[in-house]
Amino acid sequence: MTQDRNDYVESVTPPAGYDPRREQCLDFHLAEDLAAMADSDDKNFILTTVDNLFDWARLSSVWPVTFGLACCAIEMMAASATRYDIDRFGAGAFRATPRQADLMIVSGTVTAKMATRLKRIYEQMPEPKWVVAMGSCAIGGGPYFKYGYHVVKGVDFIVPVDVYIPGCPPRPEVLLDGLMRLQDKIRGRRDDAKPPKWIADYARKIPYVKR
Amino acid sequence: MEATAIHALLQSRFGDAVSDYVDGFEKGSLVAAGRVAEIAAFLRDDPALGFESLMCLTGLDWDGYDASGKGKSVDILGYDELGRPQASDRVGDGDLGVAYALYSHRHGHKHTLFVRVTRAAPEVASTAAVWPTAAWHEREAWDLVGIRFTGHPDLKRILLDEGWEGHPLRKDYVMPGAWQGVPLDGRDYAACKWDESGVTLPDDVKRPEGPQQPEGTQQPESGNQG
Amino acid sequence: MSETAIGRGWGGQDVRRELHSELLEINMGPQHPATHGVLRLLVRTDGEIVHGVTAHIGYLHRCAEKIAEGCDWRQWMVYTDRFDYLAPINMNFGYAVAVERMLGVRVPERAEHIRVICAELQRIASHLIAIGTFGLDMGAWTPLLYCFREREEILNILERLTGGRMLYNYFDIGGLRFDAYDGFERDVLAFVNIMEQKIPEYDTLLSYNKIFIERTADVGVIDLATCLAYGCTGPVLRGAGVPFDCRKDDPYSIYDRFEFDIPYGEGEQGTVGDCWDRYMVRMREMYESCRIIRQAVDALPGGPVKAEDLKKLVKVPQGSLYTRTESSKGEIGYHVFADGGSKPFRTKVRSPSFSNLHVIEKVGPGMMLSDLVATVGSLDIVLGEIDR
Repeated sequence: MTQDRNDYVESVTPPAGYDPRREQCLDFHLAEDLAAMADSDDKNFILTTVDNLFDWARLSSVWPVTFGLACCAIEMMAASATRYDIDRFGAGAFRATPRQADLMIVSGTVTAKMATRLKRIYEQMPEPKWVVAMGSCAIGGGPYFKYGYHVVKGVDFIVPVDVYIPGCPPRPEVLLDGLMRLQDKIRGRRDDAKPPKWIADYARKIPYVKR
Repeated sequence: MEATAIHALLQSRFGDAVSDYVDGFEKGSLVAAGRVAEIAAFLRDDPALGFESLMCLTGLDWDGYDASGKGKSVDILGYDELGRPQASDRVGDGDLGVAYALYSHRHGHKHTLFVRVTRAAPEVASTAAVWPTAAWHEREAWDLVGIRFTGHPDLKRILLDEGWEGHPLRKDYVMPGAWQGVPLDGRDYAACKWDESGVTLPDDVKRPEGPQQPEGTQQPESGNQG
Repeated sequence: MSETAIGRGWGGQDVRRELHSELLEINMGPQHPATHGVLRLLVRTDGEIVHGVTAHIGYLHRCAEKIAEGCDWRQWMVYTDRFDYLAPINMNFGYAVAVERMLGVRVPERAEHIRVICAELQRIASHLIAIGTFGLDMGAWTPLLYCFREREEILNILERLTGGRMLYNYFDIGGLRFDAYDGFERDVLAFVNIMEQKIPEYDTLLSYNKIFIERTADVGVIDLATCLAYGCTGPVLRGAGVPFDCRKDDPYSIYDRFEFDIPYGEGEQGTVGDCWDRYMVRMREMYESCRIIRQAVDALPGGPVKAEDLKKLVKVPQGSLYTRTESSKGEIGYHVFADGGSKPFRTKVRSPSFSNLHVIEKVGPGMMLSDLVATVGSLDIVLGEIDR
């Protein structure tokens, strides 16, 4: 029906005033400041806050601790290999010791035996630290939910999680996308870490097909 | 060598300890639990048999097995869709068993030994002295099924932690809700509400205590020199 | 341990003192960059020489065998992927062959050929990681990145074929879940052409490198008697000098139609059964896999990929069977007990890494700590299949 098609077309057209470049630019404040500086006569100063500067430094060098547990660890290794290169985000220096790491990517199933060790590694990491739950096992127990007597149904029973990356295993690009969401969160732009409202509204209109 | 010939040789040597010939998809012998170690040594050392490799040692629980072949064996207990352990009043009473899958690289023949023991006295002679690889396989059978191997050098749990209670691969095993403070049941996902403001968890789910967000990412308060 | 220190006192007299020292117990893992997963090695050492190794496993025990008793025969295929997550197709293959043997169902020819092609591609991918991480354990970063480059090509093909990049769930009881895409043969042949040129490149990187040879030749010698006693299979057993391979000894699927050799260790750079031999066996197996893939692609027929006479709800007749197939790590065995119903009664997975790892407790004492790391790397263990 024409009306349905118009609804569809309207729902995928972004609203007026939507600028995709604004959504993607992480260093937005810095770019604004650089533009202001370029216009001004004093070209030797960058005007920013110490908080912004520290946040920028932190998000550009999030060093993970090598905490690969299971299959997702191989996708994490693939993300650090040459094709998907996590090092261009500054996160390529995987530290073997948690004392030098900022990020714990829990990639794989957390079992009861491993849970205490995971908590200990988390406690050994210095502040500020973040946790990314990679893969369905770390999010909610994964395929081992129903009969897994030894599987913890999600790593957020053990440590607080900042970003959840779904998949079994998630592709390396999804891991990189999760890393970028974490960078948004570090920047303090927590609202921008969620999808824009018009995308969420459109997603709600997709009919759920029952088989 | 044919499996029937192997069985005949074992029977001639060990008499009563080797009872039935198992003729199914895999051919083997049913042997007595207490004499498995001697039979294993003979299988390994006899030049005509030459079973120098134990390929697989399986411990299993025959409880609730439907011998008629219709597939109506008892169901196992798991976690329900809300993540709570299922419970049942049924008490397991079947036998426990061990199956040894043997292979000879020299001769290229296979044989399987089957052992059955009761639940009340699950003792089987250990073959760890004959095939060193059995040491770990028997620890796993003890860990998951609860079969005690007499003569094993170091029979302790291998996959689960030392203090675990119960033997999970038994048919009457009830899933644990938690173990030493680590929660093992799922959360009540159906009771979570998700909308634009975020996720609201049901009241009885506690989030673990975590560090607050680092200072730099909070909005500057009036006292700060931002 | 005690030793005597002999010296001269202040007055010029001979002095003897008893020195007492204890063994140091070092914990390697479960979080450790060199343990290939969550493995804990408790090492008792006097500083550099290892006096005893105890391997503690179970940190990834995911109850897959219990799950088998709760889900259908076809549904459990998903969990077989997660055993050896570096070569999931081989795990699928073993389980599919095990159940099909009990069912007595004939798999169509096209499905058999595609299965062999996928299994050999997966074998190459798994060996690439084995070689790359082995170099990484020695401190060489570059071979890992080169190996991942080729692995991405294989994963591209398998992703286009099955939909999944790393865990496929592609094999089904009685065939495959769906047919291959148009252009599958062209892509596979193009990849094999590239691969056969890249293997000499890996040789120049690592195999005949003097430092690598110093670190791996004559190190971690596992002789044939130990291998057989500890049930080691795969490149560990073949590195000890014998061409034992399930594809030749106990042929399954259509492997008996293909011509390929079984590489085994000959002690080229040191003793037979050292780390270098196991490494070279894996390198040469990649060549052989390319040969098998070429033959399989040449012979690939058309036709269906699912067995026609198989119902959706598979019911396996009563009985038990142990089936062995050759995975990249060794012999993967499925001891399946069926009761005639739609769920397995018991499936025990005999994983190659479980037995391969056991040998480290025998071979460990006497070597240096860095040699222990090299030996564990050369065994090529995957904790997913050890702990299941």
